[in-house]
Amino acid sequence: MKMITRILLLIFLPSVIARDLCKDGKDGYKVRLSIKTALGDEAYEWNESEMFLFRSSLAFAMRKYTQRETFDISNILVCNETKRVSFVFVVTSPNDSTKLIPKDHVASAVRQHKHRINSAFLLSDGTLEFVGIPPTLAAPITYSTQPWLIVFGVVIGAVAVGIVSLLMSTMTRRRRAADKGVDSGQEEEQMEGIVKGNGTSLTRLESKDGVYNQAFSNDERFTKL
Amino acid sequence: MSKEARPSWDSPMQFVLACVSYAVGLGNVWRFPYLCQMHGGGGFLIPYLLMLVLEGIPLFCMELAIGQRMRLGSIGAWTAISPYLGGLGIASVVTSVYLCLYYNIINAWSFWYLFHSFQPVLPWSECPVNSNRSGYVQECEVASPTQYFFYRETLNVSSSIDENGGVHMGLALCLLLAWVIVFLFIVRGVKSTGMVVYFTATFPYLVLIIYLIRGFTLHGAWNGVKYMFTPKLEQLANPQTWINAATQIFFSLGLGFGSLIAFASYNHQNNDFEKQAVAVSLINSSTSVFACMVTFAIYGFKATLNYESCLERMRVLLLNTFGLSESDVSIDNVTVWISHLNHTNPEMFATIASKIEVCSLEAELDTAVEGTGLAFIVYSEAIKNMPVSQLWSVLYFIMLLLLGMGSMLGNITAIITPLGDLKILSRTFSNETLNGLVCLVCLLLGLGFTTRSGSYWFTMFNDYGATLSLLFIVLFEVVSVCYIYGLKR
Repeated sequence: MKMITRILLLIFLPSVIARDLCKDGKDGYKVRLSIKTALGDEAYEWNESEMFLFRSSLAFAMRKYTQRETFDISNILVCNETKRVSFVFVVTSPNDSTKLIPKDHVASAVRQHKHRINSAFLLSDGTLEFVGIPPTLAAPITYSTQPWLIVFGVVIGAVAVGIVSLLMSTMTRRRRAADKGVDSGQEEEQMEGIVKGNGTSLTRLESKDGVYNQAFSNDERFTKL
Repeated sequence: MSKEARPSWDSPMQFVLACVSYAVGLGNVWRFPYLCQMHGGGGFLIPYLLMLVLEGIPLFCMELAIGQRMRLGSIGAWTAISPYLGGLGIASVVTSVYLCLYYNIINAWSFWYLFHSFQPVLPWSECPVNSNRSGYVQECEVASPTQYFFYRETLNVSSSIDENGGVHMGLALCLLLAWVIVFLFIVRGVKSTGMVVYFTATFPYLVLIIYLIRGFTLHGAWNGVKYMFTPKLEQLANPQTWINAATQIFFSLGLGFGSLIAFASYNHQNNDFEKQAVAVSLINSSTSVFACMVTFAIYGFKATLNYESCLERMRVLLLNTFGLSESDVSIDNVTVWISHLNHTNPEMFATIASKIEVCSLEAELDTAVEGTGLAFIVYSEAIKNMPVSQLWSVLYFIMLLLLGMGSMLGNITAIITPLGDLKILSRTFSNETLNGLVCLVCLLLGLGFTTRSGSYWFTMFNDYGATLSLLFIVLFEVVSVCYIYGLKR
């Protein structure tokens, strides 16, 4: 009987110690998963296998962070599981299972490999939260030339070409008209869009001096409605 | 200019389109929906249409009549009636100068937004990341990404009107582009303007129709449209409603600036302007109502989105605090759960009581915004949530640009037509040089609005620059036409 109790004690002692280490909670982090929010209909059930995956991915992160110490899945202790799918975890040192890895080391390890951990669970920074470890946001895209300047350059170039061509055509038309005016001295200069007068009293009136008040004119020439 | 006959529109259609392009401006899009919301939705249409018939169409007719009869810009036209009335024309020109100075800044902002839409991720959809990539920039966290983009990255606004920061180079470039385009449109006078108005008058309608279809198919748009069409007839008893309807008709049609006189002065004498005046006024008002429907569809979409994200935030708060399973609490029963948990677990509930928000769709719909806030913040926020947002953004800002440019054409024509009629100036400078000089001067003065305190100056000019003087101008116009010129003529 005594043998059996001693054996039983020896078997359960590590897990008791482990649970105590985890429940002390000073060096632990709370984790929250929002699987249904992220995946909707394709959400998977949270069970022992998923927890195994979590512990192994965290051990992986710790291994890559320290680069020499071989963390094992037994070094990741989990407690306080809820239906929300949230729990608290602590990391013990591989050399001494009663010693915990300090918080900031765990935090740095998680931050460096958050992307890998997210991918393992098909989640993102918003849906897999480590309470107290802010995610590293993606770096902003930097362009060698701002794209808006390119579009601006294209548009203002096109407008400048338009203006220059319009001004050129006006000037050539003026020069042509000036040459014509020199040849036939009596005729009026032709500007675009004018119905040429047929020598009515109106045109003769315009060549006289004085202020011409069009309010009192009778412009019967223009009958177009 | 005195030796040649006056240039004229190629066809009466060009004149009508020019008037439509001038009258249908940004005010139809961002002021009318606000007024509609403030004064009881569909019920506001009653005073609006009444004022249109009593005030809008007659004054519009009058200005067209003067311009067409006198065949001169505003200074010349009034001087022709009586030399003492020349001051009226000068007042119109000065008001138009004020307007030209500050109105093109809106086009500059539209260009800025338009050019920034050509990116894989719209810059106003996300906050920029702070220096150590641990979170977002503090200013952006407190406000929203769209507000941050408008006030910080577009305007770089300073804290008060006294602090004059430097000129925002990007905005200055956009302002330069806006003025260069205006110059391109008016360089040949009425000939070039006439070509352009075919496009600036019709394309915005195309975009509005596309947006109407897109808007009505958005999730939650129906809430907004229903809100608009349920009339609150008790607002009709409020005198402010009638005053606002009168002023909206007045400014929407653009009376008193001299632009209508200038446009009509290029008409042939026998042009039937009365029918055209009625047509343009009706087109203007129906565009306002049309834009109102689109805006309310967008409002409904945005309000529903905010309401649902508020519920989602509450749901996550409950899940995290009480450790419930995700499938228990859904968006629909959040409010039920809140009251339930308040009863069963009051101590724990008290810890999050400060974070609990009351989510209400009505409250979201009641937030009325007008002016630049509506056009650049609310709309861009709605656009960033649509699929293929770059396309919708480009379409929307092109529409804003065309509306703004169309109104600018009218205002700048109101300045260059009287100046071109002045014999002194037209003898020394050619037509094109005069137009170019006017644009250059306005550009240089307008650079003041691109400084860091520029938006405060803009608000001042927008609210006070033209409003009171226009009322006086039009009053004098009516008096002089009725009594001095004689109604019979």
